[in-house]
Formats: sequence, C-alpha cells, structure tokens
Amino acid sequence: MAEDSNVYYTEGLPVPETPAPGDKPAFWKQTDVVGKRIPRVDAYERVSGTAVYPSDIKLPNMVYGAILRCPHPHAKVKKVDASRAKTMPGVRAVITGVSPKVKGLNWKYRNYTGPLFDSHCRFEGEVVAAVAADTRYQAWDAAHAIEVAYEVLPYVADYKEALSESAPKVHDGGNLAGMDEYERGDISRGFAEADAVLEETYETPCQIHTPMELHGCVANWDGDRLTIWESSQGVYAVQSNVAEVLGIPLSKVRVIGHYMGGGFGSKLKPGKYTVLASLLAKQAARPVKMILTREETYLCVGNRPANTMRLKAGVKSDGTLTAFEFECIGPSGAYPGGGTALVDWLVRDLYKCDNVRCRSKDVYINAGTARPFRAPGHPQGSWALEQMMDALAEKIGMNPVKLRLKNIPAISQGRSEPYTTTGLKACIERGAQQFGWKNALKRAKEQNQSASHIKRGVGMGACVWYVGGGGPPSTVIIKLFRDGSVNLNMGASDIGTGTKTVMALVTAEELGVKPEVIQIEHADTGTTQYATPSGGSKTVPTESPTVRNAAIDVKRQILEMAAEDLDVRTAELDYEGTEIVWRKDKSKRIRVTDVGRLKKRGVVVGVGYRGPNPRTKTVNPFGAQFCEVEVNTKTGEMRVLRFLGAHDSGRVLDRLTYDNQVFGGIVMGIGFGMTEFRQLDGKQTGKLCNRNWHDYKLPTALDVPVDMESLPIEIDDPEANNTGTKGLGEPVTIPTASAIANALYMATGIRFTNAPVSPMGMCRRLAARKEG
Amino acid sequence: MLPQFSYVRPETLKDTVKHLSAGGAAIHAGGTDLLGCLRDGIMDVDKVVSLSALHDLRGVKETADGGLIIGALTTITEVSENPMILKKYPCLAQGASEVASPQLRNQGTLGGNLCQKPRCWYYRGEFNCLRKGGDICYALGGEHQFHAIFGHDRICIITHPSDTAPPLAALAAKVRTMGPDGKRTLPVETFHVLPRKNPQVETVLKPGEVITYIELPRPAGNMRSSYRKVRARRSWDFALAGAAIALEMDGDRVIDGRVVLSGAAPVPWRAQSVENAIRGKTLDDATIKRAAQAVAEGADPLPENTYKLDLFKGVIEEELNAVR
Repeated sequence: MAEDSNVYYTEGLPVPETPAPGDKPAFWKQTDVVGKRIPRVDAYERVSGTAVYPSDIKLPNMVYGAILRCPHPHAKVKKVDASRAKTMPGVRAVITGVSPKVKGLNWKYRNYTGPLFDSHCRFEGEVVAAVAADTRYQAWDAAHAIEVAYEVLPYVADYKEALSESAPKVHDGGNLAGMDEYERGDISRGFAEADAVLEETYETPCQIHTPMELHGCVANWDGDRLTIWESSQGVYAVQSNVAEVLGIPLSKVRVIGHYMGGGFGSKLKPGKYTVLASLLAKQAARPVKMILTREETYLCVGNRPANTMRLKAGVKSDGTLTAFEFECIGPSGAYPGGGTALVDWLVRDLYKCDNVRCRSKDVYINAGTARPFRAPGHPQGSWALEQMMDALAEKIGMNPVKLRLKNIPAISQGRSEPYTTTGLKACIERGAQQFGWKNALKRAKEQNQSASHIKRGVGMGACVWYVGGGGPPSTVIIKLFRDGSVNLNMGASDIGTGTKTVMALVTAEELGVKPEVIQIEHADTGTTQYATPSGGSKTVPTESPTVRNAAIDVKRQILEMAAEDLDVRTAELDYEGTEIVWRKDKSKRIRVTDVGRLKKRGVVVGVGYRGPNPRTKTVNPFGAQFCEVEVNTKTGEMRVLRFLGAHDSGRVLDRLTYDNQVFGGIVMGIGFGMTEFRQLDGKQTGKLCNRNWHDYKLPTALDVPVDMESLPIEIDDPEANNTGTKGLGEPVTIPTASAIANALYMATGIRFTNAPVSPMGMCRRLAARKEG
Repeated sequence: MLPQFSYVRPETLKDTVKHLSAGGAAIHAGGTDLLGCLRDGIMDVDKVVSLSALHDLRGVKETADGGLIIGALTTITEVSENPMILKKYPCLAQGASEVASPQLRNQGTLGGNLCQKPRCWYYRGEFNCLRKGGDICYALGGEHQFHAIFGHDRICIITHPSDTAPPLAALAAKVRTMGPDGKRTLPVETFHVLPRKNPQVETVLKPGEVITYIELPRPAGNMRSSYRKVRARRSWDFALAGAAIALEMDGDRVIDGRVVLSGAAPVPWRAQSVENAIRGKTLDDATIKRAAQAVAEGADPLPENTYKLDLFKGVIEEELNAVR
C-alpha cells in the first residue's frame, strides 16, 4: 500500500471529536456520511443471489424434516402409530408425542406453558409428529404415513362468539385470555362537556405474516454442541428459547442468522419447528433442514389478530376533544398471543384528551396463535381512531387536518411523562403542505360534483408508536486492523431493513473509514455479541449508539497509543480519520496505520455498550400519512393514486433505507386496508380457507401507487441517544389503512368501518346505499 | 408437496394420445396450473405427459378464409401480443393480457388456460368436496364471496377461472382435439361442463383427448370486441366479474353479438339476456341501462356473493359504453 493513500479511508473526511474517557459523545451537529443516500453494503449479494439465507444452507449428510400437523381446529390425539413411517425409504428419525426424548419438554406462549407435544390440539396446524428423511419428499410422505386417531372436538372460530355460554372451551379455564382496563379523567364529565358525541363500531381482519422467506432452520449437532441456522429476527432469542426447551447451556447453542427474508414479528422467536429440527438431528445423527411449507406458515407462525372496536368520542365545537371511550375484543388464538395488545394505545396517547377509558378483552379461539405483527395493535386502533377523528371533524365542520393540529398533546398522556421530542405537529403540518392537501381536497370535491362515476378522495391519518426508542442491553465490538481496515461485530440481525448498512455508516462517520469496506460480522451467537431481537422498531436506536460508542472506544485507544509515538499528551491529540494530529503543532502527526502499538498488536478492539435511555422522558417516533384515491362507483374498483408518509424518527441514517421502510410500510398498510384477511371456514369445519399466495391476497405492484413520497421530519433529539435516532419500521404502517378509509369516505360518502375495503365490500356498500 | 410421478415427453400426437389414454395421466403444457393441482393433491396422477416436443401446436396462423388457427401450446403472452389477434380479435388479446402475472403468462398456454381446474378454496384445500368425489359443496354453505351466481344449480358453485374462454366463446371460436377416437371440433361455447351434467369434470374432453388448436372464424368487418375484468387485486388474480363482448355493428346499431361472462358461473357464461337487450338496437344510454339491468336475469346469488349482481351490471354498462 502506498504511503500516502489508504484504500480504506475517505481522504480528508472530517471525523467527530473524540470525547475524553468518561465523557459522553457530543451530538452530531452535521454529518458527512450518515443521512446520505447510500446503497446497501450487501446489495450486490442480495440481488445477485450469492447471499446465503438459512433456506439455502446445505451441509454434508444433511437430511430433511417434515411435520405432521393436526388437520382439525380442535381435537384430542388418541393414538399415534408411526410403525409404517419408520420403515419407509430414507427415514432417519421419527418423533411423536410418546417418544421418550420429548417427555418433559415444554413450549411457552407468553405466560402459558404446555407440553411440546400436546395431545390436546387447540388449532389446525398443531404439531403431532415429525420425521427426518434423506429427501424432503421422503420426509413429507413418511410424516403423512403416520396414522393418528383423533377425537374431534367442537371448535370456536368466531372470536365474537368466544365468550358466549355455548361456545366450546379452548382451555379448561374458559375462553377469556385476559382483560385490560385503563382510565384517566372522567369520561361522563367529558361527554357532558362535548358539543358533539359520536359512537361507532369498527372491525379489522386477521392479517397473516407472509415474509418472502419461509420459516425454518437447519440444525446440526457436533457432540453436545448444537448449531442452528435460523431465519430469524434475533439469534440470541432463538438461542435462549432453544436452550431453555432442551435444558442445555446457552453456551452449547450457537444460532446463526446472517441473511433472512423477512419476519415482521413472526420470527422474533423460534418455532416448535426449530426444536423439532434439533431433536430430529440428534436422533438422526445428521444435520436436519426443516423449512415449513407456505401452507404451514399460514396456520402456525402467527398473525395480527382481528379486532372489533367500539369508540365513542366527544368534541367541542372549537375542536377540543373532551372524551374517548374505547372497547375492544380480539383473539389471541389458541394460546396467549396478545389478542388486544396495544390496540388502545393510540386512543390513550396520540391526541390530547383528558378523559379516556379503554377496556379490552382478549379471547381464545381454535386458530393459530397471534404473534407481534409490525406495530402490534396500532393499525387496528388507528382504523378506529383516525376515522373517528374525521367523522368528528365533519360533525363540527372543521378541516380534519386542523382538528388534529388542535389536539397535539404536550406530553405522553398514556405514560404521564414528556416525550424527548414530538414531531406530531410537524408531520401533520409539513406532510399536508408537501402533499398539497388543500389543492387535492379542492380537486376531489370538483371531481365528485361532476357527473362522472369515477369519484375521488383524499385522506390522512397520524400516529405515534408505543416504543421505538430502543435501549440497553447491547454490546458491539469494532476491530481496527493494522492495515487500517475495520471489522464491525454485532449480534443484531438485518431483517431486510438495512441494519448492516446503517451501522456501517455510523462507523464510517466516526472513524472516517469508507462504509463499503467495513467487514460486518453479525447475527451469530457463537462469534458476535448479545443483542435483543429486531422488533419494536428498536434496532437503529439500540444498536447505532452502541456502534458509535465502540468506534469512540477504538479512537480513544489509538489516541493513547499515538501519544506514545508522538511523545505528547493524549488529550492534546485529534483523531482525523487517517491521521492523528497534535493540536498544538499540526505538523506533528502520525498515520493511524503507523501507530506503533497497533502495528505490533495487529488489532485494536473497541467495545461499545448501549447506555440507558432518559429516565424521565419517553422516546417515540411520530408520523402522518396522506393519500389520494379513486373509486369506480359502478364496479367498486379502487385505485390508490398516491401516498405521502411524513415521519419523525429522529435522525435519518441512510436516506435510501429510510425511504425503503416508508414505502414498505405503506405497501403493507394497503394490504391491511384493502386486500388481506384470514378466512376461516367458520360455519362448517373451522379450517383455514386461504393458505396460499393466491387465496391470501397480498397487494401486488399494481395495487400500490407508483407515486409514493417519503418526507423525513428530522428533529434533533440529543436526549434520545447519542445518534439522535428513533425507530421507523413500524410507525410507517400504522396510519396507512385509516388514511385510505378516510379518502374512500370523501370519494363515496360511505364510512367503511370494516377492513379490508375490497371491491366486494365496496360493491356491497354501494348497492346498499342505492337501495337504502 | 408433489406426489410421485413418471414423466414422458412424446414426440408425436399419436404417442401423446397413447400415453394419455392410460389412467392416471395428466397433460403438462405450460404446467402453471398442473403443478399447483399436484401440490394441492386434487387429482391422482402417476404420469405427467409433456406436450413440449409437439412444436406444431405452437403459433398463430391465418386461415384461407381470413380466420386464425392458434396452436394450443401458444403462450398466453404470445396470444396477448400477436398483431393479428390484436387487430381482429382485441377481446381475446385483452383477455390474455388480463391472465395472472407476466411470469405465468409467459409460461401458460392457451389450451391449458381453457382446461384450468377451478380455484375454489375448498376444492384446492383439504376438503373432500363434491367435485373431488365427496358428498357436499362446502362453498355452498360456507365462504363463497368469490363464487358463482349463475349456472351452479346449488350443486357446485365454482366459477370457471379462464380469462380467454369468455372472449373465445364470444368470438364463436372452436376447439380442435385429438383423442383415442380421432379428431373432433367443438365450439368453445359447449366445451365446458355445468355441474348439473357432471360436477366432477370441467370440460367435455374424454380420457386421452387433448386440445390441439383453437380456430377463430373470420370476424365480421364491423366487429367490435372487448374484454373487461374486475378482481380483488389488480394482478395475479381471477375475475370477480368479467365480460367479453363481441358485437357486429352497423354504425351505432348492434346487428348481432355475444356477451360472455367470467367469474359468473362454473362455465364461461353466455349472457343471452344482455344480447337480447341490445340486438338490433342502437347503443344509446337507455339501451345500455336496460342491457345492464338484464344481466341479472336468471341469477341465483348466495348470501355472500349477491354483490356480484351489481358488479356485473356495472361491468356491462361500462363495457357497452366502451365499445359503442
């Protein structure tokens, strides 16, 4: 390498000042790498197909696992006969509920613990047996050759019926999974003070997680050490779950999850399939690959529960909200899964209102258990609240944007503590301006007064996300090698959001190194540091400050070493990227790669930890979305013409991955609002009707607008953490569907209280209005 | 998961028919529907007979009398882009372009599109329904918002999934077949089978019989045709309601013509009430309104799919306005 150039560094890039030991790093006033539009560091690997996902893993002698699942929504396993399956070609291992190896093994759902193989099957898709064989087909055939005698039991599929006397009981204790109550102020006083009171019941469908990569893993034993390649949002979560179920030390479970193809909450934890793969691998003495089929994932990897919500709201004629009364019911599924979790949060926290009462009932039904799904509870609550806000605005003759701006809370009312920053007002105001709200409104009204059967509407919704501030624990290691190259070592997964890329940018900002040459080791419990799973929009605000701390630790150590070389005091040195410079005489300098102790040791290891969050304030992201739609009132066809997402998530680390999140969240919200729903055959069998990508309709490229705009609302938030970041991945899907519903109302004059609004539903409502 | 099967690729039509005549054989043309059917276990197949070596069955040729002959293995994309079809039979090109997704159109064939298995989620799912040899139609008493409103007789309420069959029927196209008993030529209009005749088959093809060509007659010089499809999502989806319209016009006046619906019935559904309402009439607002109302005649909607009545009215109204 030439003396005067270093291929790993951006020459002349100013790097932030290195804080003295014990001092906190200063807030970045300006950045040179962070916040730019920088392509993903692993874009080539992902796009070219060289990236190895768990689904791609192929080990020597590897065999394949398959699971036999209960075909009934509610049944008891009376007898399992695997004798034929065991003799079938290629079969290496068979496990059923009576296998000695599974005795005493348990599976947890939140606060519920039951046997791994429960002979009482409470949902279609519950595991009954598992097989490993030389090929996928042999495994599948053998698993389905296992003969099972079931006692088929009556089921409950409709969550609204779950609490009725006559409903079959999912659990002996009844179908009430949990209740939650919240109250502040006095709602009867609030309603008495109101000039207008509205009440409406809203329903949202069960939305099923459908990540591109199927759920599954490869499990391999080396002596008593288990290695698992899992498509996961958090390798340490998989490690702790598997170690706990199998009763083995954490140190003996290595989980690797470098690339993964999406999870949206359903891969925050391993599945029973992970444990079954491990057990089969042990029995077969071979690595076992267990990738579920798409049909299986529709049954058993989670969902966003359906909800029915009743919202009563009071408002004064000047727009002051006086009271909210909210009631909600929703199904956890067969086991505790948070059937109503956080559905009421927006009612509690988003708009200023002194008198609020929320009650929710979580119930059991005989269907797959809910799991967190991108902003759990929030899109449902938004569907109710944001439509109600529009209805209130109409009732008092106020512009819906203005009504929301009138009710911006100063603090987090749900927590009674201040936000570090709130961009709610700015998101609504600047979003409306950028969207051209006033003109769009005028255009829509003009169009709707014409004779055309094509009607137009604009709509909006705003949001806060329950968490999104991240927090400890997290440990990150940055290694600076003697040639100046850098290795970033962190346990966090990159679930498709661009985590690797933005962490490389933070490292680059702090060290002056080129982001694309930073080697990243991540998501491996054997070689990288502890991290919590990527969920709750917390990876950026958790890991980026930790990465920054690790980089600063590297700089501090290098400065100490350079002080020896230059024979000056450490505190008088500046770290300037490629060089260390003596502040008193700038000619006294040394290249980083010439620092003696670095050359001798070969590497400097910087360690960063995530510091605590602010003690008396909460860190939350905010957003507002605006859309324009068109409705063909003869056919019920709808087109979302454009969308704008204005989001306050603190500092933008990479504008490209930031925009990806905004667009992705809007797309997913369009699915929630317009095309997706789980359909159970409730009246006859309780089985799932739509378990493939045709019958379960995700929006396609033609269902989402080409015209999508992301408007970051960047507000300095030095209190949140040392990078000033807040989460983004979840808020971006919260107000999408409700904004569409509001736009559809403007277009048609019909309140769509039930999601999704499909052409079928639109036709029904248009017809009812004609008759009405 | 797919069942175990053998795979043959005969090089002559004769050998193809021989292979197909054995029980348990299935035709592999584009394979886009077959693979799904095998995966869903809706038919017992132990031999897959590929047509891919039958090169003569691919392509579009003009006939001496000014019609067209389309090989059964011509891809849906080729049908949608063929200049002769675009010019003379626009409703067929439009129908083809509305099929599934670009990948599926590139792979799927016109013959295969006519022979698709229904998309009913009970039929495709783990339900031993009437069409699969069971006792009941689950959709009838279950979840049927996507299902038929015509021609089902409350026996089996599938809709026929094809987007090309309605335009072909509207254009009075014919299907040529080859089977153990030799060649046949049948109108597309009578190619599909209603449940009251046999709820376990979709076409009149006999065991061992295969579609070879589709014949299009020379269109009337003043033919106007169009296909319109409404669906739950804008790509990769089957029709909630669709209409192929092929009208012989004299200025604004309809001399004669056919209207064939998709997403309506277990077979492509000829809407004769609409045809009667426009035959000999000038396509003015009043006629179109009457014709749209007429589409509902004879419908037997079920609780969850009554919306289709209004939807079809809307589609007919828009389509007639589009061709006038």
